[in-house]
Amino acid sequence: MLDFFTIFSKGGLVLWCFQGVSDSCTGPVNALIRSVLLQERGGNNSFTHEALTLKYKLDNQFELVFVVGFQKILTLTYVDKLIDDVHRLFRDKYRTEIQQQSALSLLNGTFDFQNDFLRLLREAEESSKVRAPTTMKKFEDSEKAKKPVRSMIETRGEKPKEKAKNKKNKGAKKEGFDVPLTASKTAPAEKSVGADNGVELSKEELIRRKREEFIQKHGKAADKSSKSTKSDAPKEKGKKAPRVWALGGCANKEDLDYSAPTTNGAPEVAPPEDINLIRGTGPGGQLQDLDCSSSDDEGAAQNPTKPSAAKGTLGGMFGMLKGLVGSKSLSREDMESVLDKMRDHLIAKNVAADIAVQLCESVANKLEGKVMGTFSTVTSTVKQALQESLVQILQPQRRVDMLRDIMDAQRHQRPYVVTFCGVNGVGKSTNLAKISFWLLENGFSVLIAACDTFRAGAVEQLRTHTRRLSALHPPESHGGRTMVQLFEKGYGKDAAGIAMEAIAFARNQGFDVVLVDTAGRMQDNAPLMTALAKLITVNTPDLVLFVGEALVGNEAVDQLVKFNRALADHSMAQTPRLIDGIVLTKFDTIDDKVGAAISMTYITSKPIVFVGTGQTYCDLRSLNAKAVVAALMKA
Amino acid sequence: MASADSRRMGNDGGGGVGGAFQPYLDSLRQELQQRDPTLLSVVVALLAVLLTLVLWKFIRSRRSSQRAVLLVGLCDSGKTLLFVRLLTGLYRDTQTSITDSSAAYRVNNSRGTNLTLIDLPGHESLRLQFLERFKASARAVVFVVDSAAFQREVKDVAEFLYQVLVDSMSLKNAPSFLIACNKQDITMAKSAKLIQQQLEKELNTLRVTRSAAPSTLDSSSAAPAQLGKKGKEFEFSQLPLKVEFVECSAKGGRGDTSSADIQDLEKWLAKIA
Repeated sequence: MLDFFTIFSKGGLVLWCFQGVSDSCTGPVNALIRSVLLQERGGNNSFTHEALTLKYKLDNQFELVFVVGFQKILTLTYVDKLIDDVHRLFRDKYRTEIQQQSALSLLNGTFDFQNDFLRLLREAEESSKVRAPTTMKKFEDSEKAKKPVRSMIETRGEKPKEKAKNKKNKGAKKEGFDVPLTASKTAPAEKSVGADNGVELSKEELIRRKREEFIQKHGKAADKSSKSTKSDAPKEKGKKAPRVWALGGCANKEDLDYSAPTTNGAPEVAPPEDINLIRGTGPGGQLQDLDCSSSDDEGAAQNPTKPSAAKGTLGGMFGMLKGLVGSKSLSREDMESVLDKMRDHLIAKNVAADIAVQLCESVANKLEGKVMGTFSTVTSTVKQALQESLVQILQPQRRVDMLRDIMDAQRHQRPYVVTFCGVNGVGKSTNLAKISFWLLENGFSVLIAACDTFRAGAVEQLRTHTRRLSALHPPESHGGRTMVQLFEKGYGKDAAGIAMEAIAFARNQGFDVVLVDTAGRMQDNAPLMTALAKLITVNTPDLVLFVGEALVGNEAVDQLVKFNRALADHSMAQTPRLIDGIVLTKFDTIDDKVGAAISMTYITSKPIVFVGTGQTYCDLRSLNAKAVVAALMKA
Repeated sequence: MASADSRRMGNDGGGGVGGAFQPYLDSLRQELQQRDPTLLSVVVALLAVLLTLVLWKFIRSRRSSQRAVLLVGLCDSGKTLLFVRLLTGLYRDTQTSITDSSAAYRVNNSRGTNLTLIDLPGHESLRLQFLERFKASARAVVFVVDSAAFQREVKDVAEFLYQVLVDSMSLKNAPSFLIACNKQDITMAKSAKLIQQQLEKELNTLRVTRSAAPSTLDSSSAAPAQLGKKGKEFEFSQLPLKVEFVECSAKGGRGDTSSADIQDLEKWLAKIA
């Protein structure tokens, strides 16, 4: 039922492969590596590629990857357990070969795993087979028939006995719960719980199902017992006498009156209000300076952590010493606190919240089980891994060289078309002017197409820019050729039509580049998104640039997702034109809260082509991944 | 006269300072003479040993830090298979590499020197990171090119090659370069000469566009180095590095079972070892 199962090292060597079908498995596995592992989306362990579902598992200690592929339409329940079993068996059987540093041991070793794998597969498949529906018990077999009739008559005295019986059952069930929850991968525990049910499910599903049954069977008693620990704490706080409602309800007016005693109908005197708290500001009612309020925030944040830190120093010191020396493999619990801190740090640096969560998940996946070297703490290992993944995300996946592509287009005697899109007020027109200045400096002639026919003054703005650029690069200094020109058709017209005419005009007049400026639009505005998608589909520009400001936080995710979706939905082509690059603007306004760069590149996996750092023509930069990551990781 | 005066003054001044030190030196000499002469000799011996240790370490590190041969190139160009072939001569299936692999390789020349072959991943998001890590210890760099897909990927190949060349030129001991045109077993593979010409043309354009790109965010990084001579068309011979071209085929002529055609590559490795 499986299409294939491969085991390969992270360095690229395939150690063992099982192929259920004749198709090669390299294609899907390469797609898995490129989209998931290399783009840091490794939190979830399954991936869909065409008609196959791929599930994978990383062994970070020995640098191996286990991948299994099966048809998407099948829902195989035994796959997760199969991967775990195979992983364990393979690791134990070939420990010496995979343990060494050099790749020679991997190359020279023979991994004859076929028989073991087939045996494990057979076991997994059998255990997942659906059993015949159980026949109903006859009355004679049930427990009720065995009990004498007298015992079933309910009197007041009988209740405690039944409760004792319930408690015993609960205790047994609870043990059954704790064992799979605490023990990580011991087979006997799984077997004992699985034997109850008869169907081999994954651990989490099993626990969930058992819990539901348990709650159903024992009803409120179970709820009370499971919540007893939690309710103990609040119970201690408010020692209120429980209200006793007499059976039969003597509804006496005085008894039912629970209101607080009042004097003359006036309410009780409230505790004296803290005038200072209400006023909040310093003495004299003036507004506090910004510095004071920020230090208050820090103090408040530090105080709760201080007592816990003081308590934890002794234990932490020993733990740190223990962690420093000797090789220790990382587990999730070790990394938990560090990852939480890193996640909060990333969110504080303006990375979108779900992306920070996904990133930390992926880093945890990559580090789980890894053996740390001596003298490296958990914090340093996690920080190092996070830094590497951030640099990896910011590296462009495709070539970023606009000038080279323009030269190519020049050779083919057609203009190079760039479209700028984005929401309102991000700096499309300003950055368009900056980019045209840069192109003019490099000797290319530019046609600016004013396809923003909605905003008042949009055309005039571009006309002013054109005039200034023309003054900087007059036709006389370029052999009588107009280097920059504006193509506009006024307001209220169809943007896609204007763009098409502009491109035709550029081709006739021999302009090298056409920069198309569109109106800003919100990502939720369906008719405007349709209009943008139409402009891009009809004119097929060479580069679609999304302009986003660096100040945006979680909104970046929403904007990019909706823009891409709109472009994909309204395109007729097989492979729709999506956003090709990002221009990050207003970078000078953020200090070191550079998280927006990460959010945007993570969502689209497209590179940041330009960074805008101001409002003059020279304020155009390209992204330096290391500097951005350094600013991001700075405390 | 004046000079003689100043000289005397200088002498006096020097004598004055020397005079200040003189009692200390005398006392030191007396101390040492009083003690056992063996102590003095022991101290001198220790100093000598320390000095030799430091010098030896220094020399050793200089020699041994540069024993690595890096295999770089685009994704799917055949680096990992080449790595396997050089080490064992066998054929293995490979996947996209995520991390580097390294192994010791014995060169088949008269001295039998040992080199460390390091196979770096070619994926765009990883390659620069790994290159950064290993370039300091590189004695030679083998840039693997997929000759069959070269026509399609010319710009990407040239861009990566440009980056590697610029990085290598900034190193203290510039490594020797070999551009291995792999996958020669495919019929549509381009020859090494053609690849060299195309790369030269492409790099010629690239050095103009790369230097014209907008500066990076923190303009502390220096201006990119200029490849070749300014006025003339770019040629590999203009570089201060040694660049050679070689044809090879990691897969071999007749499929998986045959041996690879990597003799030229092995000869070059023997030469630079």
